[in-house]
Amino acid sequence: MTAHALARQLRIALRRSRLVQIGLLVGFWLAGEAVVRLTGLPLPGGLVGMAAALALLGSGLVRAGTLRRGANWFLAEMLLFFVPAVLAVLNHREFLGLLGLQILLIIVLGTLAVMAVTALTVELCCRWGIGGHGQPSALD
Amino acid sequence: MDSLLHWTEQLLPVAGWTALTVGFYLLAKRVYRRWSRWWLMPLAVAPALLMIAVLALHESYRDYIRGAGWLMLMLGPATVAFAVPIYEQRALIRRYWPVLLVGMVAGSATAVAVSWGLASLFGLDESLRLSLLPRSISTPFAMEVSADIGGLPDLTAVFVVMTGVLGAALGDVVLAWLPVRSALARGALLGVAAHGAGTARAHQIGPVEGSVAGLVMVLVGLLNVCLAPLLVSAARLAAG
Repeated sequence: MTAHALARQLRIALRRSRLVQIGLLVGFWLAGEAVVRLTGLPLPGGLVGMAAALALLGSGLVRAGTLRRGANWFLAEMLLFFVPAVLAVLNHREFLGLLGLQILLIIVLGTLAVMAVTALTVELCCRWGIGGHGQPSALD
Repeated sequence: MDSLLHWTEQLLPVAGWTALTVGFYLLAKRVYRRWSRWWLMPLAVAPALLMIAVLALHESYRDYIRGAGWLMLMLGPATVAFAVPIYEQRALIRRYWPVLLVGMVAGSATAVAVSWGLASLFGLDESLRLSLLPRSISTPFAMEVSADIGGLPDLTAVFVVMTGVLGAALGDVVLAWLPVRSALARGALLGVAAHGAGTARAHQIGPVEGSVAGLVMVLVGLLNVCLAPLLVSAARLAAG
């Protein structure tokens, strides 16, 4: 009875605390890294952790509420973790000239092309009813 | 006493550079919330401020990364976090996965073809061309693919981030111009072309857009990791 009540309290605390949930997500990632190290899978550890989290959510062993607040924090602040990567430019001063402009142009044109192709492909597939069981898209 | 001094010397740059990175990031976010111009994106402003700080303090990229590099590791748990929105949109995904798959393959093929074509046109050298190929997938995947195909992973990381910054900004422009009505297409556009930064933008547009972008981002990364060996033989063949 008391053990039961304790477990309940713990679950409520888990659903409220963002910090604990962030810790849980880090735990999933570390476990994923460990699996990758041990098995030599050519995948990032975070992806293995995500697959594990999805499996647990899908099987009902973990409820979405247990991870939601932590996950929302990571998704909202993700850009912070990209910031240090940009400073690698400091090691490549050659990009400050014509080469940098060429690369910028490649990235801009490439990205525009990818966006147009992806969006139009998905849009046309939706309109023609492929994969949507022949119904028009309900997502307009 | 000596070891204590040693530890302080080790910890000080970590604490300092981390605090500066987080501080500039928060500042940049506040600035962006106040004046929403695309060139004021936090992912452009924060690194620019940091670069000025690194240069002003006569430090190097290596000093900086030794201090704040661990922040990049947090992209790992951030990847895990995508499990939640993907799980919550499972009904949508189950229904539309063939459409998303077609879009992802078309988008990835376009990314590789356009990057390679333009880089060859400009006469960039091979390691640079290969480093540019995986730039539209998220950092951990992209660095993996870059190493696999013979590019330079740290350069690829820079291109990936540039693609994200520009992509999130260009996304709004493209969405205003293209006649895309479905949330599915809007999410896929941002997820395939601009990975994490695009997904963050998609979450701001709407919950369906955000989940689709997150899912597509992860799957495109996976697709590229699996296809990288094929890609490199194709590239070699094209190069003659």
